[in-house]
Amino acid sequence: MEDKKSRSIIQQKKAVKQNLQAYSFLLPNLILFMACSLYPVVWTLKYVFYQYGGFGTGVPRFVGLANLARVFRDKVYWQSVLHTFTYGFGKVIIIIPLAFFLAFLLNQQKRGNGVAQSIMFLPTIMSSAVMGLVFYLLFNAYNGEINKYLMQVGLISRPINWLGKNNAMKTLIITAVWGGVGNYMVYFIAGIQQVSEDAIESARIDGAGRLQTIWYIIIPMLGPILKIIMMLAITSAFHDITNVMVLTEGGPNNATMVMSLYGYRYFFPISSAEATIPQYGYGAAVSVVSAVIAGVVTVAYLKVSKKLDDIY
Amino acid sequence: MNRKHLSKSAWAALIGKWVFLAVMIIFTVYPVVYTVLGSLKTNAELTQGGGFLPQEWHFENYYKAFVQADFTQYTLNSVIVSVSVTFLAVATCSLAGFILARREFAGKKLLMALYMSMMFVSLGSVTLYPIYELLRTLKINKTILALVIALTGGQATNVFLVMGFTKGIPKELDEAAIIDGCSIYGVYSRIILPLSKPILAVVALFSFRNAWNDYITSLIMTISMPKLQTLTVAVVQLKYSVNAAAEWHIMLAGASIAIIPILIVYLLANKQFIAGLTAGAVKG
Repeated sequence: MEDKKSRSIIQQKKAVKQNLQAYSFLLPNLILFMACSLYPVVWTLKYVFYQYGGFGTGVPRFVGLANLARVFRDKVYWQSVLHTFTYGFGKVIIIIPLAFFLAFLLNQQKRGNGVAQSIMFLPTIMSSAVMGLVFYLLFNAYNGEINKYLMQVGLISRPINWLGKNNAMKTLIITAVWGGVGNYMVYFIAGIQQVSEDAIESARIDGAGRLQTIWYIIIPMLGPILKIIMMLAITSAFHDITNVMVLTEGGPNNATMVMSLYGYRYFFPISSAEATIPQYGYGAAVSVVSAVIAGVVTVAYLKVSKKLDDIY
Repeated sequence: MNRKHLSKSAWAALIGKWVFLAVMIIFTVYPVVYTVLGSLKTNAELTQGGGFLPQEWHFENYYKAFVQADFTQYTLNSVIVSVSVTFLAVATCSLAGFILARREFAGKKLLMALYMSMMFVSLGSVTLYPIYELLRTLKINKTILALVIALTGGQATNVFLVMGFTKGIPKELDEAAIIDGCSIYGVYSRIILPLSKPILAVVALFSFRNAWNDYITSLIMTISMPKLQTLTVAVVQLKYSVNAAAEWHIMLAGASIAIIPILIVYLLANKQFIAGLTAGAVKG
């Protein structure tokens, strides 16, 4: 009896020691995770229900659902949601076929393909902020090189106001395609290489042409991976903020204001030229509603793509 | 396949392929070439329309950027921050990924669920505000450490990446080491760490890229200490300077200073970048 007891105490001690050991490995990461991931989310969820102007502006005041109610009445916010969808749709609809086509052309291990792949992937490694500034200069209406070349070639007679109200969103999408197409190309190449060569070969033997091979063999067999790639493209489009912030600052006149940037502006000024009075509670509410919208779209997408599976 | 035996239609397909690729490559490379060539032009050439190449190569633009616009300091900041973030990310992810792969311990399920959920809850850049306030409470908001901490962050994705990789290393190796008298610390440092080099290289490469290229986090975390700004922040701030219209050449020199180091890294490690991306996407 005594023996059993002391043995169980030893076992307990051993378990405690093992737990301590485990946490000694985990601790450095855990601290960072708590401080930079978990705490900010909890903080934001809490301040959805408060009115707070920040450090030195008095105690946060509990306002219940007032911030959320304001989000639903805020026309500019819902416009920014619409802009986010326009941006996301425009980006995905161009980038996915383009990336797929590039992957199809470049997936074989042939001379030149590797170099072309490396070049297409290049924008992925560069700062979207720095390149946003470069695009700001390139697309400048009066001094930019894009207009200069287009006029030299004779495609246009007057400079296009690329960053003006009617074109800013298109320009933004062009730069987003520039920055992302190489990334998705690499995903597609990984996917295509998983489609067995035998299937493609036997389709060829049966007399399928290139396009037929793509349409009847590669795309259906890519199905599951295509679904993941599409999902990555959709969710990432919701989070793009740096390029918008640097290139158009959400303007002109909110024409390119996307929902991630709209929440941000209640915390920090979008540009050094702008002064904002922080409204952290309202900003938190905007961000939480935006996260829910992004989540709903993702779930809806998964549901629809599952339905498509059943049809196949 | 012998080139002589290519049929006419195969030739047409090949030509079509490379014409399309040439267009895509020009589209991709042009902004980068514009940046580097533009950084050697005068402002008048840039804004009033000069040729493709600079009329004269104005290397003094870089002198102006480094000396007058203080880019020496910003470059130094960028190097310190990126290297520290890379080191911290690799160390913390490696330790955490190892223990999650190899040990059961109290609270593991809860922690895994929390890590997982934070990968899906994305509130975006607004979470920088509570992080900033927290660091201010700890009185480190005016040091470069604040930026290093905020940029390293929780690394949930990388922790799972390392965990998955470690699970692929045979457990028998651990057991043999334990029989030989190794503690869990010995197993980690002598067995797992050397074998994890490929995945840690991926974590390092991507952490470095993210830290070097980051804009918003760096902007916020240096808001009260402009001297600590990194290159990306300093370059973008030139857009808002009083005589921005007269400083396109300095902006492009600054932009080149910001992108050339990462271009060199890419030139040396482009295979690892591309392979790392798929490793992260497929397993992560």
